[in-house]
This record gives sequence, structure tokens and C-alpha cells, in this order.
Amino acid sequence: MALARPCALLMRLLFSTLTITFFVSNGTSATHGSELLPEDRSIAEVVDHYISARLKKYEIEASPPANDANVLRRTTLDLVGRIPTSSETASYLADTDEFKRQNLIDRLIGSPAFVRHQVNEFDALLMPYDKNSLREYLLPAFTENRPWDQMFQEMMLGREDDPEQKGALQFVKSRVGDIDRLTNDVSVTFFGVNVSCAQCHDHPDVFEWSQDRFYGMKSFFNRTFENGGFIGERDYGLVSYQTTDGETREAQLMFLTGKVLKEPEVAEPDDEAKKEEKKTLEALKKKKQAPPTPSFSRREQLVEIALKSSENNYFAKAIVNRVWNRFFGYGLVMPLDQMHPANESSHPELLEWLSRDLVQHNYDLTRLVRGIVSSEAYCRSSNWTGDSRPDPDMFAVGSVRPLTPFQYATLLRVATANPDSFGDDQKTEDVQSRLASLENAARGFAREIEHPGAEFQVGVAEALLFSNNERVRNELLRESNDTLIGKLKKIDDVNELISVATLSIWNRLPEPEEKAALVAYLQNRSDRRDEAIVQMVWAMLTSSECRFNY
Amino acid sequence: MSKRRNWFCGSEEHRISRRSFLSTAAATAGSMSALNLLREPTLAEELKKQDKRVILLWLAGGASQLETWDPKPGSLTGGPFAAIPTSVPGIHISELMPKMARRMEDTAIIRSLNTKDGSHGGGARLMHLGRRDEASVTFPDMGAVLARELGNIDSRVPDNVSFYTATEGRGNAIGQAGFLGARYLPMSLTTNSKPDDLARLESISDLDHRQRHDLRELLSKRFIEYRHSSSLRSHNEAYSRVRGLMSSDKLFDISEEPQSIRDRYGPSLFAEQCLIARRLVEAGTPFVKVSRAWWDSHGQNFETHLELVSELDHVMSTLLDDLKQRGLLENTMVITLAEFERTPKINASLGRDHFASAWSCSLSGCGINGGMVYGATDEDGQTVKDGEIDAGDLFATIYQALGIDPHTEYYVGSRPIPLVHEDASAVKEVIA
Repeated sequence: MALARPCALLMRLLFSTLTITFFVSNGTSATHGSELLPEDRSIAEVVDHYISARLKKYEIEASPPANDANVLRRTTLDLVGRIPTSSETASYLADTDEFKRQNLIDRLIGSPAFVRHQVNEFDALLMPYDKNSLREYLLPAFTENRPWDQMFQEMMLGREDDPEQKGALQFVKSRVGDIDRLTNDVSVTFFGVNVSCAQCHDHPDVFEWSQDRFYGMKSFFNRTFENGGFIGERDYGLVSYQTTDGETREAQLMFLTGKVLKEPEVAEPDDEAKKEEKKTLEALKKKKQAPPTPSFSRREQLVEIALKSSENNYFAKAIVNRVWNRFFGYGLVMPLDQMHPANESSHPELLEWLSRDLVQHNYDLTRLVRGIVSSEAYCRSSNWTGDSRPDPDMFAVGSVRPLTPFQYATLLRVATANPDSFGDDQKTEDVQSRLASLENAARGFAREIEHPGAEFQVGVAEALLFSNNERVRNELLRESNDTLIGKLKKIDDVNELISVATLSIWNRLPEPEEKAALVAYLQNRSDRRDEAIVQMVWAMLTSSECRFNY
Repeated sequence: MSKRRNWFCGSEEHRISRRSFLSTAAATAGSMSALNLLREPTLAEELKKQDKRVILLWLAGGASQLETWDPKPGSLTGGPFAAIPTSVPGIHISELMPKMARRMEDTAIIRSLNTKDGSHGGGARLMHLGRRDEASVTFPDMGAVLARELGNIDSRVPDNVSFYTATEGRGNAIGQAGFLGARYLPMSLTTNSKPDDLARLESISDLDHRQRHDLRELLSKRFIEYRHSSSLRSHNEAYSRVRGLMSSDKLFDISEEPQSIRDRYGPSLFAEQCLIARRLVEAGTPFVKVSRAWWDSHGQNFETHLELVSELDHVMSTLLDDLKQRGLLENTMVITLAEFERTPKINASLGRDHFASAWSCSLSGCGINGGMVYGATDEDGQTVKDGEIDAGDLFATIYQALGIDPHTEYYVGSRPIPLVHEDASAVKEVIA
């Protein structure tokens, strides 16, 4: 806490201007007693500086860089949600350009698949466990790389009469039936703060987590309602709650930082006025029109205070932490929804620097993503051969992360397609559109796979599905001209056959022992060679290497 | 002092302060061992040796307490059915349950549930999770908790099986592993009594099926040698269970049972699934839920109950007899439960509506003090007049009777989450 105070004070100084897109840093950004690196450094450089500094402090030697094939696979899965084709793998391995990794990152980020993958990832973040989706809104937003603060504003305040923003309101719409949930989901998703425990009592140690914070946050939403599929907001209504001492209190409009907002005094309408209001709303419902806009919108106040960040930049830090977690499998603050002063970041300066950078650069998420994957820290091998494995918050070893349903389903499609259809002799546009249609075809299978949450465990249903379901046999292990199986069956030379299989499925060439095992497997079944090829492909597709990003 | 309600808060600081608070009280409460999700807890290991099982008979839609466990004959709300004495002096149940009446020794009736939620969806969630939903924590349901607490990690039989072949209310009767992870999700049977993907496809020989699993394992072993993550481990564990689970295929096939046993259970789907449930618990499955729908008798309540309670009476008594004869009842608890039950007031369509304020459930067998009634309702059955409990208390009772301390905590990240909400306490009278 002693350290956290100056930090909060600093943030107050840093974010005291009203503007959200611009502020001037004078280089005295001291935090935790040391200076932040200058703002003109590259993100990758800064990431590596702070990660290395902590490793050095704890005398930990990080694992070596992953090999080229591994880096290619990891980066491709992370940026465009699929594995590289065997042709992409072959050319990346043969590439001798010293900037080949940067070129790869540029190529992937520049492709439409990057936008689609961003949409998938953010839809999962914003609408977890929800049948509804924000995809319709997110696709154009990520296509034009809309700033994150603007997206937040649109998700909170999207105008029903604006076709471009209408879809954004789905976030609020799907939660409006339960204002407690809306309150907590907004706090968790956009600010990395889980206030739900404060529903019942003040947190004993974390001063930020008090009942008045929860009900203060709830006050931003308590006037929001749905009317015939449209979101509206009333001009009146207060939140009252009972303290643990049994006292009934009226909540103030209070942001997570404790900042109380002033608002015009309103009188509760009488029964007559309420009746009138109900009538008006019924009429609007019939006419399929949105309720009138309030004269004073509490949700608007939330957006303003959150982006003004005059007390602490929860908003910027939360998204930096989420994006970091996505690429490293572990946040700079863990758990992701416990960002409060008493739960220190493993690398406070880094989080501070990245948040500052994000705000200074117009909340450009693509810039943040590009910077993070360009670092050396991102490229470490996930193999740890040393004695004691460092804690995950050291980022000393590459992480092993379960694929999302989209990633795994797309991987299965790309891996089992005939590799010739992605060959160098094919037109780039054709390859791109083939990959896009495989991605599309993967949606059905993706629904069969569980979305990985924290501490994700693979269930036996998945293993049974892959072991015994007809669909796997019919869709992934089918023999035809456009499938990997079809191609493999035509290859006579067993060494070549295995190389083609491993390049397509594992995105690398086999190691000698693997090759020996696979050759032996095929040779022992030479009486039923075709079947043996099918089963070998199955074993490779269901191997852990295939199921994880490593 | 306020009631203990701070179970959710989970900053590291809170955990430490909470745990140090607890450790001062540890001399008496020695049971607060942390259940780390990623580690096999010693406590649970001990329990598993005792081979405890649960069969939950889920009376979907809400059976009527007045036509089952808590009859009120002669009162305004009592309806046409009489109450009959049971083999335990002083206990009367509905005349629709003559077979259970002759076997009350192993069964405890709880007549004092007040769960407040009279909606199918909300009530069913509550009675599956034992607690209200909390934002941003997805709790496991009873089946997932018991699969984890009573199951074996490498079991060759499924450890959580859920039958729900009717369509009414199926969406409410959740199977939710929540933070315990998909490993503990039920094997869910909704279209017939045999699970999906358990049988080998004809297009692959048994030999090839086995050998490709061996190849898969060999390849994965190389990969995981120097890598580490709990979900990576679970992936391989899931595959390593496949062949074993496939061999449990026959457990779902009642044609393997002697005709005399099948005849005893009877020909209904509910009866057949209860017989499968017995086969499963006998083979080591810790949790089976058999759902019977649809009890939602807003009209013609008495005809509905005449049919459904008679079936329940026959099947439940057969199941208890069968378990007992095999020496399984000592280790197997049988529960009847619904999302809520039915209003004492009889409506204009001779039906009873949703009612969650004063209703009943039953517990039999393992760990249960049979032949007793806990709690009581008033003379019309409108309110609980004695021994009121909520869903959390019921779950605490069930866990305690199975030898699981209900206040044991799971750690999700650094958040301590007890098996039941902290206000809940087990009903000691019901526990043997």
C-alpha cells in the first residue's frame, strides 16, 4: 500500500487533463522510485527491458529463443488464429532475411484474417458464455482499427438510430435484465476490477472494494432498461442498499476510484407521471422506436469519468493486461479482474509504460499487439530443461496455452486440407480465400469444443468426440483430392510421406526419433497402408502439440 | 456481528487475512484444508477409498410435497389423497406411496425447505448449485463437485452421468462444472439411454483403435516432457480414459441384466434409467442423476400425481431394495429433489402452481439417519413452522453425510470458495 499511494498520485498527475487522446509527459514519470523508460522507445524494447530486469534481479536465466518453426506457428496462431500452411512454413524456414520475423508480423497484421481473429478474441472477451454476439459491431470496428476508448464509448452509449453503433449496444442489451451483472461485467471487462464481493460488505483490506463502490457503480446503470428490444435510460431512480450493519443507504454516483459525480437533483415522478411514462413506452414499443434520450445520462457520466481517468487509469491498464495475458498466457496482474493497489503487478513499470503508450497513441490496440509480439520475451521456447521452473509471472519460459475453439477447429481444417492447394504455384488471393473458407467451415466444429477459461481442463467428452464421432472420420479423415489424406495416400516414399504430414499438421519437420516411430507404425501395417495413414494422421491431430499453442 | 458473508472476496490479502483468522480458530476447526484445484487433495483421496456414491432422482417441473412426503389430508389444501402410516411409527406419507411407506427405515424426509425461487429456471439452477449465481464465478453443480470429490482421476467408468430424456425443462436442469473444469461435466444422455461417442465406429478395427491411441500417447509424451501446464495434463488424462470408458459401454445396456431384475424395475424409461444408475454406481460411478419429467401440474394435479407418484414409489423402492440387497445402500445415497414443489392452494383447473416456500425432499442410504422426518410445515402447508432450511443447508447436509466437509474451500486462483455458501450449515439430525 505504501508503494501504491505515490502511484495513484502519479496517475492523478498524469491524467489530469480532460483529453483522452493526448497528454504531455515531461519525463519525470517516476513510479516506484524509478523512472519510466522514455516514451519514444519501441514497445518491444521496453517489454524486453523490464522483463529482463526482473529476471536479472532474481538471477533467473530465461529459456532460449524458440526455433523458427515454433515462432512462426505461435505468431500465426496468435495473430490470425490458424496454423501456417506447409508452404508458409517451408518459405519461412528458408528465408534468410534478417528482418524476416518483423516481415512476418507485418504480413499477418496486414491481412484480413488478423481482423477476423481480433473479432473472435474480443467477442469471446466481451460476450463469454453468451449466445449473443458482438461480431456484427466488432467486424467494421476492427477493420478500421477503431480506438478502444471509442469502442467502449459506443458499447456503453451506442445510439439506437445509428446503424453503425446499434450493434454495439448488444453488450448492455444482453445484460440489462440483471443490473448487478451488468455492473460487475462492465467493471471486470473494462476496468479489471471485480466489485461483486462488495455487494454484501466492505472488503476488509482493499479500501477500493467497499459497498459504496459497488452500489456507486451500479448507479451508473440502474436507470437503464429495455423497451421492445431498445435500450433506454430514465431520468430518475436511485440505488439504495443495506450496509452490513443493517443501515439503509442511498448510493452516490461513484466511480471505482471513489470519485463521486455531481448530478442534477431529480424528484421521483408521482404515480400519474409513471403511468404516463408507461403509456408512452408502450406506444414506442408498438411503433418499434427507441425510448427518448434522458436529459441527464448516468451511463454517459461513466464513460466520461472512466476515460478522463483523473485518478487512475484502470481503463487503459485493464486492456493492456488482457492483451498481455492473451499473448503470454499470464497477465502482468493476476487474476485479471483483481487490479487494485493491494494486488501489485509483477512488472508495475512495464504496465505503467504500456498503458501510457496506449493512451498516447489513441488507444491503438493493433500497435500494442504488434509491439508485444515483436519482443524477444514473446519468442522464448516453451521447453524448460532446467531444475526448478520459474514462476509464470517471470515470463522466463514460453507459455503453453490451450487453443480456443476457433483456433483448434481452424487448425484441424487447415492441417487436413491438401497442402498443394496452398502451394507456391497458387495465386495468393486464391490461397487467402481458400483459408478464409476453411476458417468458415470450422465454425461448426468449434461449437463442439469448450472455450478455455482460467485453469482450463480438457474434458473426456472432447476425447470421446475425437475418438469415436463419425464427424471426425467424415470431415477430417476423409480421402479425396482436396484432403491431406488423399495426398498422403499417393506418396510412395515413406520418408516424404511423413515429412508432408508433419509439415502440414505440426508445421515442422519430424525429429529423427519421431520419424523412426512413424515409419515403424506405417511399416508394421503395410498390409493395410491406407488405413494406417488415416490413423497416423488421427494420432498427430489429437496429440498435445496440435491442441495447444506452445 | 454480521453473518459470515465474505466468502467470495478473494484478493491474496484477503485470503491471507482470512486464513490467519481461521488459523487462530484452527484448533477446533481443523477441517479448513485448502483444496487446490490443480492438486489431488489428500482429504478427498481418503474419501474416495470409501467408495461413496449418489443417485439423484430429479423430479423436474416440481412434484407436489402434498402428494408425496408431506400430506395434509382433511385440510382445505389437502386434496383427495389420504395419508398412510409407514413402517416407522409416527411418520405418515401420501397414500400414493405405499411401497415407500413399507420401507421408511433408510429414508429421511425433509419437510422444511424454503428456497424462495418459484421460477423453473432460477429454482433449478439453485437446486443444482446449492447457491445463487454470483457474477464472474461459475460454480460447479452437485454432480461436478461429487465427481471431483468422490471420483478417481483415472477411473475407467464415467464419474458424472446425467439422464434427461424428456424435453420439458431440460434446459433448466443444468450440467455445469464451472471452475472445476470440463473434466467434471456430466456425460449427458438426452436422446436415449446410451451415451454418444462411447462406442467404436465400425470403420475402425478395435486393434487399430487401440494402437492409434498408443501412437497418440507416444507422440504427446515427447511433447510434454519439458513442458508444463495443468490443462496440458488434463488433455492427456482425458484421452487416457477413453479406452476405459468405452469398456463401460455395457453398463448402459440393461439387456445385460437378468430378466427378473428388469421386471422388478418395470418397463418405463425412468425405471430403466434407474437400473442403469444402479449398474453405474455398482461399477464405481460416483454421481448419477436420473430426471423424470414433467411434474408441472398447473391443471389436473391429482391425475398427474396419481400416475407419476405411483411410478416414483415403485421405482424408488425397487432401487433402494436392489441397492440394499447388493450391499450398496450403505455407500450410496439416493436423493429425491426438484426445483421447487407445489402450492397448497388448489387452483380453478384443479392444479397446483409453483411453490418454493415450504416444500420437501428425501434422502436415503449412505450417511443418512433413516426413518425420521426433519422440519414441519403449518397445518395448510403454507409456511415452514419448524426447522427451515435453504438450498445451501441441504447441500451442506448432503456433503456432510458423505463425509465431505461442506466448508472446505476450493481455491480458484487465490479466491477461497467453500463448497456451500458460508451461511449454510448441515442439518445434523439427518446425518447418521
